[in-house]
Amino acid sequence: MRVSVDGAPVEVPAGATVLEAVRAAGGDVPTLCFDERLSPFGACRLCLVGVDGAPAPVAACTTPCREGMRVDTGDERAARAARAVVELLLSELPAAPEPHTELAALARRLGVGEPRWPGATHEADHDLRHPYLALRHELCISCGRCVRACDEIQGAFALTATGRGFTANVAAGIGAGFRDSACVSCGACADTCPTGAITEISLLDLATEAA
Amino acid sequence: MSRNLVSLLNRTSAIGAPTAVELLAAAHAEHGGITDEDVRAVAARTGLPEATVHGVATFYDDLRVPAAARQVRVCTGTACFAAARERHVDALRAGLGLELGEVDDGAGTGLSEAVCLGFCHSAPAVRDGDVVDAGPGAVERVLRGAARAAPEPPARSLLAEPALVRAGTWAGLRRALAAMTPAEVLDEVRAAELLGRGGAGFPAGVKWGFAAGAPGTERVIVANGDEGDPGSYIDKHLMERSPELLLEGMALAGYATGASRGVVLVRSEYPASRPALEAAIAAARAEGLLGADVLGSGFAFEVHVTEGAGSYVVGEETALLACAEGLRGTVSARPPFPAERGLRGLPTVVHNIETLCNVPWIAERGAEAFRAMSPGGTAGSKLVCFNERFARPGVVEVPFGLTVRALCEEAAGGLRDGHAIKAVQIGGPLGGILPAALLDTPFDLAPLAQAGCMVGHGSIVAFDETTSMREVARHLLRFGAHESCGTCFPCRIGLQRAHEAFASGAPVDRARLEELLETLEVASLCAHGGGMPAPIRSLLAHFPDELGLC
Repeated sequence: MRVSVDGAPVEVPAGATVLEAVRAAGGDVPTLCFDERLSPFGACRLCLVGVDGAPAPVAACTTPCREGMRVDTGDERAARAARAVVELLLSELPAAPEPHTELAALARRLGVGEPRWPGATHEADHDLRHPYLALRHELCISCGRCVRACDEIQGAFALTATGRGFTANVAAGIGAGFRDSACVSCGACADTCPTGAITEISLLDLATEAA
Repeated sequence: MSRNLVSLLNRTSAIGAPTAVELLAAAHAEHGGITDEDVRAVAARTGLPEATVHGVATFYDDLRVPAAARQVRVCTGTACFAAARERHVDALRAGLGLELGEVDDGAGTGLSEAVCLGFCHSAPAVRDGDVVDAGPGAVERVLRGAARAAPEPPARSLLAEPALVRAGTWAGLRRALAAMTPAEVLDEVRAAELLGRGGAGFPAGVKWGFAAGAPGTERVIVANGDEGDPGSYIDKHLMERSPELLLEGMALAGYATGASRGVVLVRSEYPASRPALEAAIAAARAEGLLGADVLGSGFAFEVHVTEGAGSYVVGEETALLACAEGLRGTVSARPPFPAERGLRGLPTVVHNIETLCNVPWIAERGAEAFRAMSPGGTAGSKLVCFNERFARPGVVEVPFGLTVRALCEEAAGGLRDGHAIKAVQIGGPLGGILPAALLDTPFDLAPLAQAGCMVGHGSIVAFDETTSMREVARHLLRFGAHESCGTCFPCRIGLQRAHEAFASGAPVDRARLEELLETLEVASLCAHGGGMPAPIRSLLAHFPDELGLC
């Protein structure tokens, strides 16, 4: 089917999402809860774009294309919302994310600096008992990528979202950590985590720690 | 929603079997909390992974908060706020010597909050065990251990021939099965222009058409009895006083769309609703009005009831279906819409209770008569309900199109004890707030939308002249933040920040607040985050001097 992205026509297969069309057209919109290996989730709301006929911007990752759809990746309200959401995210973390993480890169790209929101931040809580995987709950932004990776890539179902609202987080097993869960140490969760909340413990880490 | 989890469920648990939410709630009711053993047992019984069940146990209020043998639940809904601010909460905290969410193991007593108990006509309300006491003296009676069930005012109608304030007769279903094809019933509902009464106003006939046309042979009708709007007790009234109307409406929806199964999800804050529905289901089965061969027509329709465990957002349809599957009641992006892929992956029609209760009248009297109920207005009639501040609170069936003033002054008798209306909030916590100066706005979808408000589900909560509007903002945002399901980022963090801004006591930066409201409106995944700005926008427009802005 044919759609246009910022005026440029592009051919996409039936069932393609607006995000796929944008990328096929060589364009880009920010994403954070999206991982092309996983089913789209629509939680971060960073990939909002304008489409003709819709009264407000829509999430590109969960919106299917329709024949002749006109997509606008330059919607001003969407751009303001994306910056505002990233600022809200930074405001819930007790410290800035490590510079190499996807979240930090996105904040740099959107020009979001120190968050201006005072208020509660996540409390530090570390699961460091597993030999290969570390979970630092305070860095979790509930994007659902690790839970979907564990479900859809590995089929281990060792992870779950927990809590709700501002206290939402993730947990392994019955909350006791990776070691006491159905985790098979595949590392898919650490690989997809955009904030460094779940990381692989490498031999190098262990050596550095020992030193 | 995870398709793999639904597959796991379908392998182990039949539709209608107790859900993980219900099994966890039963364990909690038995020993006041949820142990790892409970989680393992529920996982084994339902086929869900242990981590998934743990996630469920941490989501719902009833499962998160410890309970005692005697659990006192104080209502902190908007009608109770309008009546008593937090005085009733403070009195219970002091009298029981407990904070909210705390349990005294020695005394075997616990205190927690519930939003809302649906006794808004007699606020403030307190639930002691399964007895809901409300109104003057309720707190004192609970503290004396002498709670008594609060009486409920009878529902009234401004229409001579009400569609909703009546007992069910099953005449609509009898007529349809005797004389109409499923397609004719669907056409009649479409022609009646029945719009969803839960707040979104989507045409019921269009929804039925989607489900009827979906592939496969199995479909489900889900009735949304998770009436979470603080200040609303319309569906509670229908489920408890006219459950036959609901069952008949579900059967008609099943007949029209090809569904043989119905599910009612009832909220746990209404302890009397489930027993009333189950008694009506048993009676209907005994009379052949539900079952494998309804009235000898060959049409099969069964209904079962399932229960939530404390979450406002479960009223959103994708979250409702997740809860009915026993999962975390979080919102999923649409598409897929429920009509295409709903409960357990089946095409599903999800309707508000009141919407379904209109269907028998349409089947009996026809589309034209239904449209004629509100001349010049939205088709049909509407149940509204008034809070305790009014002289004659209760559920009232009204035509669309009367002014809000006529409803407040004539149907509900104005405010009690010489008080004056400062503002009314219509349609729940996501509805705008109408100041007294705008009470001549007609009560219908378009004129209320123009005033920044909505019909919503039809609750009318008055704030009297003694109310601080900054306190209203804080009250609403506390609720909004607490009830965010946590899925989308704007709502999860944004409502927390908005609540903190009003709770701090410091001046609120108006420009930053308005930026945040725009983010919530534009970017939220569902109507919870998208709708919470509406009452705050009303307060900014009509009461800016009371909000402590800078």
